[in-house]
Amino acid sequence: MIVKFIARRLLASVIVVLGVTAVTLTLMDRTRGAYVPGLDLNPALRPEDIARLRADLGLDQPFYQWYVTWLWNVLHGDFGRSMIDGSPVLTHILERLPNTLELTLTAVVLGILISIPLGVIGALRRGSKTDHALTVFSVAGFAVPQFWLGLMLILVFSVTFEHYGWPWLPSGGVTSPFGGGDIGDRLLHLIMPATVLSFFYLSLWSRFTRSSMLEVLSQDYIRTARAKGMSERRVVYLHGLRNALIPLVTLIGLELPGLVSGGLIVEVVFSWPGLGRLAFERALQYDYTTVMGVVFFVTLLVVAGNLLADVLYAVLDPRIRYS
Amino acid sequence: MIDPGGITQLDLPGPAIEGEARRPAQSYWNESWERLRANRIGVFCGALILILALIAIAAPVFSQFVTHFDPARQHLSDNFRSPGHPYLLGTDELGRDTLTRLIYGGRVTLGVAFLTVALSLTLGTTVGLVAGYYGGWPDDILMRVVDVFLAIPAIFLFILMSILFRPNAITLAAIIASVGWGGVARLVRGEVLSVKQRDFILATRSIGARDLRLIFRHLLPNVLPVLIVAASLGVGQIILIEAALDFLGLGIQPPTASWGNMLTNAESYFFHSGWLVVFPGVTIFVTVLASNLFGNAVRDAFDPRLKAH
Repeated sequence: MIVKFIARRLLASVIVVLGVTAVTLTLMDRTRGAYVPGLDLNPALRPEDIARLRADLGLDQPFYQWYVTWLWNVLHGDFGRSMIDGSPVLTHILERLPNTLELTLTAVVLGILISIPLGVIGALRRGSKTDHALTVFSVAGFAVPQFWLGLMLILVFSVTFEHYGWPWLPSGGVTSPFGGGDIGDRLLHLIMPATVLSFFYLSLWSRFTRSSMLEVLSQDYIRTARAKGMSERRVVYLHGLRNALIPLVTLIGLELPGLVSGGLIVEVVFSWPGLGRLAFERALQYDYTTVMGVVFFVTLLVVAGNLLADVLYAVLDPRIRYS
Repeated sequence: MIDPGGITQLDLPGPAIEGEARRPAQSYWNESWERLRANRIGVFCGALILILALIAIAAPVFSQFVTHFDPARQHLSDNFRSPGHPYLLGTDELGRDTLTRLIYGGRVTLGVAFLTVALSLTLGTTVGLVAGYYGGWPDDILMRVVDVFLAIPAIFLFILMSILFRPNAITLAAIIASVGWGGVARLVRGEVLSVKQRDFILATRSIGARDLRLIFRHLLPNVLPVLIVAASLGVGQIILIEAALDFLGLGIQPPTASWGNMLTNAESYFFHSGWLVVFPGVTIFVTVLASNLFGNAVRDAFDPRLKAH
């Protein structure tokens, strides 16, 4: 049963990945003529040189042919070479990936660790001042533009603090340019971007945990557990929270695409050398192969994340498997 | 369950109850409207959005009589002035009045937001109705397309399209809507699937109603509440997306002011002109906050099933 379920989801995922790459390529294809602006104007290049360059990069082929070749190569682990500097795309991706993961995983872990207790507190003290304060906090978290929150943090904790001679936080990068790179230095750089990125997830997941928890606590089996004299602690955490968290698993899985895209803006604001910023900068330079590579790679991660969430959900909640 | 124009609306002659006032018959829309009006936060936020929209529409009047500046007029000797007189919210690096630019920026930002909502609702509803009503292979194909659009990390799609089309307000709305419609389509399809099962649809079909009539006269009105809720909840998110794209330099291009692109270069002025970062951001924040709270109020009023605890 579960095998069939996974197989069906896997097939759907493959279709999605193919569709995404096809859409991306169709869009990128429109920029082909613009590849390396100025190439056509360079007097040192004869027309046949330009033609040879284009042929080398496969730009003389119709785009479906280019797509099939590209797909074939990618399936063999060859992501091609960057059109800007000729270096292998996969090297770029693998170089940037740890930075992105460092940022996004920190944000997700922070988000989960803080939002679940906040949600539980909100549900248990429903209607109290604490609950209202948490509600205001999460409503604000939904409304604040991520990039602006980043700018404000930089304004306060880097610019103003430095101005007054207080200990300040670095406003960008993964490590300090000179002599940095030890764990403390990295953590210092991580504080602000990770805070900004986890802010949204905090608001989202704490709200969700709260309402899920309220729903579960109103169930009959909770009343039964209480009626048979189980301690409140056990009722809330063993019977309540465990069931309330099941839907949260899907939600976190579904947020993975948002995690990468949200990560992009934070990466740009904090000059964080991650995957998102790589794609952003290379797209501005019409670096076809790099953009395709990153989008493919990220989509793969996203689809895998969704698949994982589905499967986990089916494992946690048997009702899903049999429907 | 919601059923405008359906069986529950028939005014059956009930037994006359002596001495006890019967609750006057109220349509679903009346009831929802009453519920919305009773929500004070919702009404306040709705009014705030309305006022902001009116200010944006009347922007030339404001720049003429209130701020006395033109949004594009540069006063190079007056750059980086602090908030005060005559520049109420200060000036930027080219000596342009911040308040005037905020007001004009509101035109662009709010305009793009409402247009985006309209576009994604139209496309999403059409796809959702067709997929949900006809089922079978049209459903399979359309829903796979939706899957694809929802699986591409949206920001990549926005970036690629923005680079390609160098957007103005209208193309920017189309670009953002090209992703937003997927969610609406899923929502509408789900709603249609459940409404389709109900007896009044079978009854309508059995008296010979055609597909189009069924879709537009009977399914669409039943999906409408969900659409209203989706629209009012969507505005805030779209403003955030639009602001982010403008900030990255991919949306509305200078010299046209928008709330997002006013922040693009703000980093360079941190040291002496922090307010250039504060004001546009606060404006975005307040607008999105009001939109979201209004959206919540609309959801609670129109779709009590979804009411959060």
